[in-house]
Amino acid sequence: MWKKLYSWLDERTGVEGLIRKINDEPIRGGARWSYVFGSGILLLLVLQFFTGIFLTMYYAPTSDHAHASVAFIQKAVSGGALLRGLHYYGSSAIIILAILHFAQTFLFGAYKERRELLWISGLLMLLLVLAFGFTGYLLPWTQEAYFGTKVGTSIMGEVPAGGPLMQRIMLGGREITTLTLSRFFTLHVWLLPLLLILLAGSHVAFFRRSGPAGPYHHRDDARTELFYPRQVFLDALVFLLIFIVLIVLSLNLKAPLGQQADPTTDYLARPPWYFLPLFELLKYFPGNMTLVPAVVLPGIAFIVLAVLPFFDRKEERHPLRRPVATVLMLLGLFGSGGLVILSKYQDGMNPDLRAKIESQRREELAYLDAPFQPEEIGRSLPIEVPMVQVEGNMRNPVLKIYFANCANCHGRDASGGALGPSLIRLASSRHLSRDFLLKYISGHVREPSPDSMPRFQQLSLDQRGELADWLLNLRSPDQLSEPGETAAQSSLPSVPKPAAAPSQGPKKAAEIPRAPEAFLKTCAFCHGNDAGGNIGPSLVGITAKPERSPEDLLKLLDDSRAYGLKDPMPANFPKLSVDDKKAIVDWLSKLQ
Amino acid sequence: MSKPSNSAHVSDRRSFLGKITGLIAAFVAAVVGVATGKYALYPAFRKMSEEQNWQVVCPLEDIPEHEPVKRSVVISQDAGWGRFNSQRLIWILRDGSRVVVFSATCPHLGCTVNAASNGFMCPCHGSAWTGDGQRLGGPTLRALDTLDHRIEEGVLKVKYEFFKQSIAEKEIIS
Repeated sequence: MWKKLYSWLDERTGVEGLIRKINDEPIRGGARWSYVFGSGILLLLVLQFFTGIFLTMYYAPTSDHAHASVAFIQKAVSGGALLRGLHYYGSSAIIILAILHFAQTFLFGAYKERRELLWISGLLMLLLVLAFGFTGYLLPWTQEAYFGTKVGTSIMGEVPAGGPLMQRIMLGGREITTLTLSRFFTLHVWLLPLLLILLAGSHVAFFRRSGPAGPYHHRDDARTELFYPRQVFLDALVFLLIFIVLIVLSLNLKAPLGQQADPTTDYLARPPWYFLPLFELLKYFPGNMTLVPAVVLPGIAFIVLAVLPFFDRKEERHPLRRPVATVLMLLGLFGSGGLVILSKYQDGMNPDLRAKIESQRREELAYLDAPFQPEEIGRSLPIEVPMVQVEGNMRNPVLKIYFANCANCHGRDASGGALGPSLIRLASSRHLSRDFLLKYISGHVREPSPDSMPRFQQLSLDQRGELADWLLNLRSPDQLSEPGETAAQSSLPSVPKPAAAPSQGPKKAAEIPRAPEAFLKTCAFCHGNDAGGNIGPSLVGITAKPERSPEDLLKLLDDSRAYGLKDPMPANFPKLSVDDKKAIVDWLSKLQ
Repeated sequence: MSKPSNSAHVSDRRSFLGKITGLIAAFVAAVVGVATGKYALYPAFRKMSEEQNWQVVCPLEDIPEHEPVKRSVVISQDAGWGRFNSQRLIWILRDGSRVVVFSATCPHLGCTVNAASNGFMCPCHGSAWTGDGQRLGGPTLRALDTLDHRIEEGVLKVKYEFFKQSIAEKEIIS
């Protein structure tokens, strides 16, 4: 039955001949363990294609969702951690095998005897694999991804003449944005794989044309063995071993995934291990010479290697009888390895760096172990936080920041308000670090919850730094008064209090009816007594906005989440009666 | 290619090594295949549309009487990496304090049902219903789907649900 089906198929497809052609490749000198690298790379590439295709099933290549979608794959989807782990560690395995394959071909002189194109196509694939690594690195949109790519593309911008242009084209602008992510995605998922299929296909075809070079000592030249079964078996065995290692790494160590990229943090970026030699070399050249280690040296090395088979015409292949070539290659390999070790060693020796790297690593692991939190997605109005008009001379800049951003909730003397807790001695009694405060203020270490503090991402790193330093030393409410003044007579700005008198401008008061009591009690705290905005956005003219018709506003007061609003806007206002809500909406629709 | 000396031995070894190689390939394919299968099917059989909350529509007295009134409610759907908030349409019929709420999703194949001169009509395949939602004609097998509603302090609230399509009975998709 099967035989019949097979011969029916073979008659029409010639599959038998194809299998013969693949399996019956004669190997000069017989099957060997040392020949497994090429096949290993090919099988790993197939695995990368397969896992990569399925990773795109849940991945969203935009800067606002990339990270959440990767976290979803890693933490929630069944099999997601395994597929992502295979893809992540598989890339490293390919680079290791590619380096071994390259070094072996060079050391054993297997690029000789009319194998110029085979050699060059291999070198190009080596570059291609690194390009895969570089473009794939950005896709999870983590801190590491963002800052690693920042450094990488900055180096590109250093190239004289065409560099800045190339960098702009690569980034899709001057900065890393969602467009950069889309470009890297297109490269990593479409263009580079197409190029790789072309090159790998040519590589195999060239290889079949020239045949394997055989051992460099020519002792076994008389013996010939077919590719199948022994070499196929050895290849399969090695691949199985690699596959099992990859699975163990994926399930136990897991593919790393840190927090979402935040350009305002001082993240210490380190490239993946295969770029560490370049990274380490960069340290030994001053800033205006970045080009030498990053572009010139690798460029020269590549060109020399590429033209090598055209000039090295001697038939000798034994590594010991080609001392210059062998010594140069070993120098290159061990030099690169040494640079990797040196860079790890230097990070470990510097206590500041080591502490920072360790704390980043701890945070990353904590994030990886935390349960997955889906993103809230919907039409939402951006919550703008306009600065409160500060009266009088605020000589202390940190107080200016405090009164514009924090005082409404934490109170004008920082001893706690209606919504926020007291900040006096808060940081010192809880042993909070400056770094933690920086991230807490920007919302970077917090998962959103209904009662949490809003994310103050509009504050610059410097501003947050000043706040953090100030908070760490905040021991008494008196510290909020200006120097030389007592707290009682200070020129601190008045923080709007709920139910306070509406805005005093005589003109406004004449034109605009007074806000209803319910608004002053419930809304004015954030939106201002005249709805002109405070820590919440201005509501003047809001009914003209889409989905903010009076009817929508009434519904929104019952469920603001349904309208895509986020913290700190409460989800609903159970204390407001229907009449109160109507009064508020009526009043708001009159404000133009 | 040179013929190996002992051909009987060699062909034994050939088939043995070939079988082991086949087993290795089958193992790798099984591990990757099972993981990928689970991965790809993950959202398909999970309960994704969670129980919807009661949604405020509007004060009852704002709804005109004796004519179909179109309103929207916002639903929240858990879809993998996000909870997506989006709008769905409903039709409201009011007669004093008596209220009927229909989902505007056609029970045939899911297009949006419109008000027509004599009731309701689906633009896609021409299903038609009377003014109170009874089936008139067209490919639909059932009346318009009613939604649970309640009136609290004079405000109409609705619970939006999804129903199985193209069957004669109204059945909630869970």
